[in-house]
Amino acid sequence: MHIPDGYLSPVFSLGSGVVTIPAWAVATHKVRDVLNRRTVPLMAIFSALSFTIMMFNVPVPGGTTAHGVGGTLIAIVLGPWAAALCVSVALIIQALFFGDGGILAIFINCLNMGIILPFVGYYTYRLIAGRSPVLSTRRIWAAAIGSYVGITAAALAVGIELGLQPVLFQQNGHPLYSPYPLGVAIPAMLLSHAFGASLVEALITALGFAYIQKHHPTLLAALREVVSGGDVPTGEAQALPLWRIFALAIPLALVLLFIAGLITGGGRLDHLFGADWSQVSWPDVGIMLLIVLGIAVVLLPLTWFVLPARLKRVGTFFMALAIFAPLGLIAPGFAFGEGSPEDVQKAFGYIPQGLRDLNGLWNAPLGGYTIHADFFTDPNAPLWHAALGYEISGIIGILLLVLLVWGLMLLVRRLTGRGGAPTEVDARQAQPREEAL
Amino acid sequence: MSAEADGSRIPVEREAGHLTLSRQERRQLRRQLGWVEQTLAGVTEAIERAVFTEEHARSPGWLQGLDPRIKLGMFIVTVLAASLSHSLLALLLLYGLLLLVARASLLPFDFFVRRVWLGIPFFAGVVILPSIFFTSGGPRLFEWDLGPLHLGPTPASLLGAAVFVMRVGDAVSLAVLLILTTRWADLLKSLQVLRVPQIFILLLSMTYRYIFLFLHTVNGFFEARKSRTVGFTSGGEQRTWIVTALVTLMNRSFQMSNEVYAAMCARGFTGTIRTYSDYRLQSGDVLALLGALLLSVGLFFLGRVLL
Repeated sequence: MHIPDGYLSPVFSLGSGVVTIPAWAVATHKVRDVLNRRTVPLMAIFSALSFTIMMFNVPVPGGTTAHGVGGTLIAIVLGPWAAALCVSVALIIQALFFGDGGILAIFINCLNMGIILPFVGYYTYRLIAGRSPVLSTRRIWAAAIGSYVGITAAALAVGIELGLQPVLFQQNGHPLYSPYPLGVAIPAMLLSHAFGASLVEALITALGFAYIQKHHPTLLAALREVVSGGDVPTGEAQALPLWRIFALAIPLALVLLFIAGLITGGGRLDHLFGADWSQVSWPDVGIMLLIVLGIAVVLLPLTWFVLPARLKRVGTFFMALAIFAPLGLIAPGFAFGEGSPEDVQKAFGYIPQGLRDLNGLWNAPLGGYTIHADFFTDPNAPLWHAALGYEISGIIGILLLVLLVWGLMLLVRRLTGRGGAPTEVDARQAQPREEAL
Repeated sequence: MSAEADGSRIPVEREAGHLTLSRQERRQLRRQLGWVEQTLAGVTEAIERAVFTEEHARSPGWLQGLDPRIKLGMFIVTVLAASLSHSLLALLLLYGLLLLVARASLLPFDFFVRRVWLGIPFFAGVVILPSIFFTSGGPRLFEWDLGPLHLGPTPASLLGAAVFVMRVGDAVSLAVLLILTTRWADLLKSLQVLRVPQIFILLLSMTYRYIFLFLHTVNGFFEARKSRTVGFTSGGEQRTWIVTALVTLMNRSFQMSNEVYAAMCARGFTGTIRTYSDYRLQSGDVLALLGALLLSVGLFFLGRVLL
């Protein structure tokens, strides 16, 4: 997430100092008011800590590694203003000394990772944690979600900043700096973080927070009080039972879904998600559900036992995905992002040009996610026929994908000549460090 | 990866005096220690760089002899000029000049080129690649038809990409030049010219010291972990360990900050910060700054005239 020099117009990267410098000034004052003379050693040492945290490689499932920022964890321990100073100092040293991130881009990098990240992370944490005691499980969840939201917000900020460049700075229609518009830059940054670095960050923060609760609770109460001057309610360790978490999370998710449906359906109850639900024949759906459940009961345990140990969880997960995928057929309109151009045209009244171009690119043998036989595609056949076709094509698709990936891996291994001497443990894994972005 | 697969087997068998492992076991071993090795390598690299920088900052080259404040000023005007320049020729010219300066400052040539180009500009090249082909407008040099998609570079998109990569390369080269020829303490003191508050500079210089202490500590953590790992641990256990290391470091830092504060008090620290600097500008310094200013202005106008 470190933006190097040259990606942004200097006008933009130096201009962001308008936000960053006052924020630093306020942070210095806030921390100094509470801490007076102790500020310097404490901040210096926690900045060094923040720098060191960015060097930790965390093993993630799947065999690769990623590294976190730790901004939210420091914000929880020291308060957001102090964390902003610590992370900023670490970032400045990285830029001035290690060449990680540009020097003109120091302001913008500090804005993203030093200010947006700890503040968003910390206030999300506070919002979720509420007045719960310091040692409660709720705070662990709050820390995890807070750090996830914080780092994703920072990534969003980077996406917006990069995406603004071609809009603001161009010459004769040619972009002068980072060339990708907002529509490309934001999804690229958001997706790559939301499913990668943010998860790692959330994991580190949650585990770290739990460990601090258990072994060094003074860091959470006393230190916070000293540095930020706020009062923190302390309490006994209190485990939030798992059922309460689910009892909270599931209705919340349903309510959010319902609201999203209402918004996309134009506020009409029978048009949730823009689909006409009155056209659904519910007995058909019931039969289909029964059949899908039956298939799941047979296939899932089978997958679990057949697959080798390494693939058990992942394989079963994908199998479950394939089996339950036809539930999307219930919706009479179109599934999100899956519709054919005709569906889209019905819904929007026109076809986006790009979609029409792309659609002809790949005329799949299992086109429309079903098998071309009368049994499956007959318009008058009951819904479960279509569901079955959908399901079979899904499973075949997953198998094909697995074969393809496996074959590619085999090829790569042949080509790179791996699998020789035992010293290959020393060979470092190629790891895409996110130094540049 | 499930836990029962990892803990159950002992992978090593001895055959004719050396270790032979099946492929799966080797992969598991790599997964066992890969992240430890990566962190160790990262820590070592950081320390190595620091030593390397100090070494070069002390060698008697041209840039090393200049006043650090002047150097900072030269760096800022030049990097601004490079960032504002939209001309490939001007940027190439600047790069050639930078190579000469690196030569005059006794930096190893291949190192200077490699460190700059194998890093960030290479990445910039990868990032920019799609934009060369997915371009609209203008005649294409050649065209690929992938179904309904028409891909191909136009002269304008190629030039734009080259300017982008070259600009990033110039900026990184300039930063490397500044970093490699200036000692950290001097660089920090020169920040005072930019009216950076004293407290920030003190913070930076102390942080820099403690970074190495922490890197040393972390190195110890990971070395110990590596030398004591026998058999296999699950991913969950590995993550638990790494988080334990992280929080232990955090707890230690808190204790250390108390100790450092006590030590500072004992030595008469009252909260006010005084630094001393005995820099005196020499005529060569002023000339160098003037040269950099002229170069920047020249680059700026050259960029408007040339391609």
